Amino acid sequence: MTYESQKVALKYFVISAIFFGLQVLVGLLLIIKYIWPDPLIGILPFNTARAIHTNLLVVWMIFGFMGGTYYLVPEESGTELYSKKLANLQFWLLLLGGLIGVIGFLLGWTAGRPLLELPVELKWAIVIVALIFIFNVFLTMIRTKKWTAIQGLLLGGIIMLAVMWLFGIPFFKNLTLDYYYWWWVIHLWVEGAWELIAASLMAFILLKITGIDRAVIEKWLYVEVALVLITGIIGTGHHYYWIGTPEYWLWWGGIFSALEPVPIIFMVFDTLNHVRHKKVEITNHLVLYWAVGCAIFHFVGAGVWGILHTLPVVNRWTHGTQVTASHGHMAFFGAYAMLIITAIYYALPKLKGQESIKSTKGFWAFWIMVIGMIIMGLAFGGAGMIQSYLQRGLGIDFLTVQGFMRPWFMGVFFAGLGFFIGVIIYIIDVLSIAIKTK
Amino acid sequence: MEKKTARNFFIWGTAICTVVFIWLTIDTHQTIPKRTNTDQLTSEVVMGKRVWHKYNCNDCHTILGIGGYYSPDVTKTYSIRGETWLKAFLKNPETPDPTRRKMPNQNLSDEEIHQLVAFLKWVDAIDTNQWPPKPITVAKTTGVTLEETTRALLGKKLYIQNRCDLCHQIGGQGGIHGPDLSKVGARRDLQWLATQIKDPKSLNPNTQMPAYSQLSDEDIESLASFLAGLK
Repeated sequence: MTYESQKVALKYFVISAIFFGLQVLVGLLLIIKYIWPDPLIGILPFNTARAIHTNLLVVWMIFGFMGGTYYLVPEESGTELYSKKLANLQFWLLLLGGLIGVIGFLLGWTAGRPLLELPVELKWAIVIVALIFIFNVFLTMIRTKKWTAIQGLLLGGIIMLAVMWLFGIPFFKNLTLDYYYWWWVIHLWVEGAWELIAASLMAFILLKITGIDRAVIEKWLYVEVALVLITGIIGTGHHYYWIGTPEYWLWWGGIFSALEPVPIIFMVFDTLNHVRHKKVEITNHLVLYWAVGCAIFHFVGAGVWGILHTLPVVNRWTHGTQVTASHGHMAFFGAYAMLIITAIYYALPKLKGQESIKSTKGFWAFWIMVIGMIIMGLAFGGAGMIQSYLQRGLGIDFLTVQGFMRPWFMGVFFAGLGFFIGVIIYIIDVLSIAIKTK
Repeated sequence: MEKKTARNFFIWGTAICTVVFIWLTIDTHQTIPKRTNTDQLTSEVVMGKRVWHKYNCNDCHTILGIGGYYSPDVTKTYSIRGETWLKAFLKNPETPDPTRRKMPNQNLSDEEIHQLVAFLKWVDAIDTNQWPPKPITVAKTTGVTLEETTRALLGKKLYIQNRCDLCHQIGGQGGIHGPDLSKVGARRDLQWLATQIKDPKSLNPNTQMPAYSQLSDEDIESLASFLAGLK
């Protein structure tokens, strides 16, 4: 840490970790509802709990990205933040917005669109928070002496994140158009804006821990994000097979989304290459583990799990089944959860002025979470394959098939329980680093 | 490769793909009226969509395959279940089987139910490129023969509308809570079946099957003759 104002990132990281824990806790509740009769049906029915589960995910990741950005930008731009006050204000507004959102869900205040359940008033409030964030980041960056690719792509990512969000705000009369633009938020976030932010953060961390030349790192950063966007933008079409949109999307979506793993393979090789050719000794092994783990799990969860069911011939049978849940969990964990944890383990000790941390808890969290998520993904996948075959293939009634899937849901539950323990260890670790005084 | 080349690749690659994507979007918009029958997208359907959002149905159910995977997909629910069944179910979604996953009663008003059903009817007609697919083979564990009289066909419709399949199986399809009805016609006569539907406790005091006394005598006769034909 070189600049005093980087310290605003600290509270973003803490809230990010805590909300992660809450998200997983609600996830456990959801899988319990799959397995046993639901005693909470009158208080917290499945749909409300799912809205909380997914929105907490988005909120803790946004907190992570914002914290990461506030840490990175002063160092990259060689200046203090434009305004520490705005960064603090924006933190409290986002936290307030998130809490109002969750309480609102419990009271039935919802827009009723999956993942975009926040009521329209709160969605506009989020726009204001995003504008403050972009304003602050931009005015810091323009003080820089030399624009870097990391700065540019990070700024591009957060602007794209805000712009895409706007497509989730209006009410659509036509369900097909509703979902057409719904994917502009969901898909173009995770295959576009978020990838830009994540790749920039990762490039920054690799630059710092390996000491590789900036020119080399930034060159590959450009190649990767270029491939991400080239495959990802038209790859949105793999969501347009069955929603009432024309048949040509089967080709556009199928071909481009089948290429989506290419940039992720690049990232894996790139990361390993940078680590192999490191110019300084990597002291923080925990960060290295999370970074390399992130690259590999990103490839498996998003790349491999994605391509398995992205082609229309397969997707026709798996669409709308637990196969998607399997992919969703693995991909979000690999691509973004691990990235944010990497960023936090890199930045947090530096914010506290510690050169090295005791990493025992961090390694435990790493292995428990990784193994837990692999088992959870496989269990969801098993459930999904049974569902695709029996329900879609043989035409057996939905609820009867759910009964056959029960053992796999038990697998998800126990893996999730293990995963939750990993998350608890992680939260304790983050909190203990964060509150430590020099 | 130089960093500059990489940057140009990024800028041009992204720009070209964005232009292609926007072009495809414009073209898609032009196909929407025909593919989704926007001429039938009445204000009632729109109100139905608002009901759908208001109760956050989509976080349990999928529609067009998107949403929560906890409950059945409703894309084709209108043509599969029919209007009568849908309206009855939305009014009172309790199932006779307590071990099954349950839908909480949303206490919808009659108007809301009407609008929601109009919405589902409109959704049913969207051209989804033949999704959900027709099953490759319909699961079949017993041979089912059925004499297709008008009365039996009416009975079959009642069987579906009243969701007898939640508990009973015919030809391997349906629940396992109640007895398999694939060959019930060989075991029971018309009169017995009619009594069983109307007042099951009179035949077996310990039965878990609820009485379907809300059905008219004529409906019961149709349903019984459908079942009696399963031999």
